[in-house]
Amino acid sequence: MKDFHGIIFAYSAAPELRELVGVRTAASLPFCGRYRLIDFALSSMRNAGILDVGVIMQRDYQSLLDHIGSGKAWDMSRRNGGLRMLPPFGLPEYHRGNYAGTIEALNAVASYIQDIPQKYLVLLLGNLCANIDLTEVMKQHKRSGAEITAICADHTPAQSHHRYVVGEDGFVTQVYFDRTDDGEGLPSLEGYIVNKDVLLKMMDDCRAKNLYRFHKDAVAAFLAEGGRMDTYVHHGYAVAIRSVEAYYKASMDMLKPENRRQIFPAGRPVRTKTHEEVSTYYGETAVSRNSLVADNCMIEGSLENCIVFSGARVERGAKLRNCIIMRGGIVGEGASLDCVIADKYCSFSAGTVLTGNAKLPMVVPKDSRI
Amino acid sequence: MKKNCIAMLLAGGQGSRLYALTQKVAKPSVPFGGKYRIIDFPLSNCANSGIDTVGVLTQYRPLQLNSYIGNGQPWDMDVSDGGVYILPPYQSAGEKGSWFSGTANAIYQNIGFIEAYDPENVLILSGDHIYKMDYADMLREHMEKGAACTIAVLQVSMEEATRFGIMNLGEDGFVNQFEEKPKQPKSDLASMGIYIFNWKKLREYLIADENDPNSSKDFGKNIIPNMLNAGEKLWPYRFKGYWRDVGTITSLWDANMDMLSPTLINLYDASWPISSRSPVCPPHFTGESAEIIHSIITEGCEIDGHVENSVLSPNVIVGKGATVLYSVLMPGAVVEEGAIVEYAIIGENTIVRAGAHVGAPPDGTDAWGVATCGPDIEIRSGAAVPAGAMIYTGEEV
Repeated sequence: MKDFHGIIFAYSAAPELRELVGVRTAASLPFCGRYRLIDFALSSMRNAGILDVGVIMQRDYQSLLDHIGSGKAWDMSRRNGGLRMLPPFGLPEYHRGNYAGTIEALNAVASYIQDIPQKYLVLLLGNLCANIDLTEVMKQHKRSGAEITAICADHTPAQSHHRYVVGEDGFVTQVYFDRTDDGEGLPSLEGYIVNKDVLLKMMDDCRAKNLYRFHKDAVAAFLAEGGRMDTYVHHGYAVAIRSVEAYYKASMDMLKPENRRQIFPAGRPVRTKTHEEVSTYYGETAVSRNSLVADNCMIEGSLENCIVFSGARVERGAKLRNCIIMRGGIVGEGASLDCVIADKYCSFSAGTVLTGNAKLPMVVPKDSRI
Repeated sequence: MKKNCIAMLLAGGQGSRLYALTQKVAKPSVPFGGKYRIIDFPLSNCANSGIDTVGVLTQYRPLQLNSYIGNGQPWDMDVSDGGVYILPPYQSAGEKGSWFSGTANAIYQNIGFIEAYDPENVLILSGDHIYKMDYADMLREHMEKGAACTIAVLQVSMEEATRFGIMNLGEDGFVNQFEEKPKQPKSDLASMGIYIFNWKKLREYLIADENDPNSSKDFGKNIIPNMLNAGEKLWPYRFKGYWRDVGTITSLWDANMDMLSPTLINLYDASWPISSRSPVCPPHFTGESAEIIHSIITEGCEIDGHVENSVLSPNVIVGKGATVLYSVLMPGAVVEEGAIVEYAIIGENTIVRAGAHVGAPPDGTDAWGVATCGPDIEIRSGAAVPAGAMIYTGEEV
């Protein structure tokens, strides 16, 4: 789509992801056996034909750079345009902390935004787990004549979120911040299509007033000035992942076929960087129930309600229940793990017993040897 | 761009002894070992051996092969000074174009392609063998010995030797005689159909052979014997390791079963990866009633039934209560609830409906064989496909 340019926010460290973001940002969190969360935003854009995309990042982005590379996996390695990774380059000298808000993040790459040749920008969170049909959102945005189209969920998320109240003319009249329950309005997924001139004005106004928040400052002012904001309701699974609990729940949700159908619909594949992989081998003593298992694993023990990433080894007699084992995890003979999230390359020696709780899963940091 | 060695991969054969499996595709693009197609093995060997320029000679049903190979990116062959090239037969001005009439003729017709790289040596490969081999080591030996041609050979048993082209060696270790399927073999060194030629020599022999009206334009039957008769130095390169020709249903099934034993061929060795162009699918899912024993499963599969001693390709579905034993399921194959598939090869996107039964265990009789269903077939609910059957696409079963 020649008129649309993508922007993905991948700077968020989301402290409630605890050890999981010790070595990365939320957007590069491994998910569902082989993906990173940002694959959803990148694939949604790719599947809508948006190949010119800027990824805004700030720090701890080595894992993100490594994953995205040239953008080839999403066909975004182009001769003209294509994917750009955007570390801060327009930030005032005195600024040393994390981006305090989305507007500040945008202002930090303001010259990139100004030079975007397209008329419309598609903004998505890098840590949103959803397969959004952006083609439909783009169509609606052009048709409605709105300056901003807000992508909303068809269900109320468990976490704090903003809600948009739509008036009789179909445009947003009111925004409610930080709601945690059902109520008036549609829950925002913090994905938007916005006219470039409108976004630039929001960025400029905020900069002039030393404001930095997208919703509470920029959107509130936009609506107060009578700006036209439309809403698009995404039907299907959608959750922004900001905490260990949300990550664990979303992972376990992928074990349900109906959720997988919504996240991996036939016509809109989720693309990701592919590794050199071989099939997974199940031995004579393997048991695997209600689990998702990536390639290149050796399974000799038993899995129940687990998500196992590539390169993992589960030895004979090992019992894994309700666990997430990331890339290269090794679970020794007779070990027993329940409600454990093991980050990449963890190993558990024979007979190890570790038990978390579904409400408070135990996170084992990357490269741990237990 | 001058290259020391480029590879020419013979991928034009029909593979007629794979019957239904090669009805619509060339043998090298037949799925193999879960994630692969047969051609992945020679292509990956080239990549791992540092050979970045490969001409793939196609003729029979090349469409799928063309799109599979594409720009060669999965094998890291999308480089600016080489790459992988599909070479179909073509017409020249003033000449009546012709099909490749033999393996040697296929190379002869592409002399122009080879000359563009001005190589010292040319590696000739076939697209129907499963093995891991370091061609760089073979090339080193070839150059050390100053051979006109080096032929990869495998030690086989004397009984097996009667089925192969056998190299007899002189006292100096060079080949002095080549016998195709000898009744009384004098040696146990079988040709693997992998050659490295000094390009100047090969060019000479190709042109001479082309002008010989009685020649069948074949490397094994013509070029190699002609070189021997002319007293050229032919060196045998001894290969040790796993190597299988997968030209028949039985050998294809056998070699697939070998993939379950990493001691035979270790695909998990990161230093010699076999690469493939694979679809990006979610990890495979094992349901509440899944039972998977001694099998390999890959991305996109959904398993709810019993799978034992089997090799599954991407996106295979095995329904609740279904049983899959000693079988090879190609990409997108579906085995519905309660169906039984045993000692069988199920082609791409073929559906075995609920309660159908394909194949049977060996019963000791000569009539027994692996049951084979080609691609895009629907085996109807309750149908029985006997052992050794060959079901073609379009057949009603």
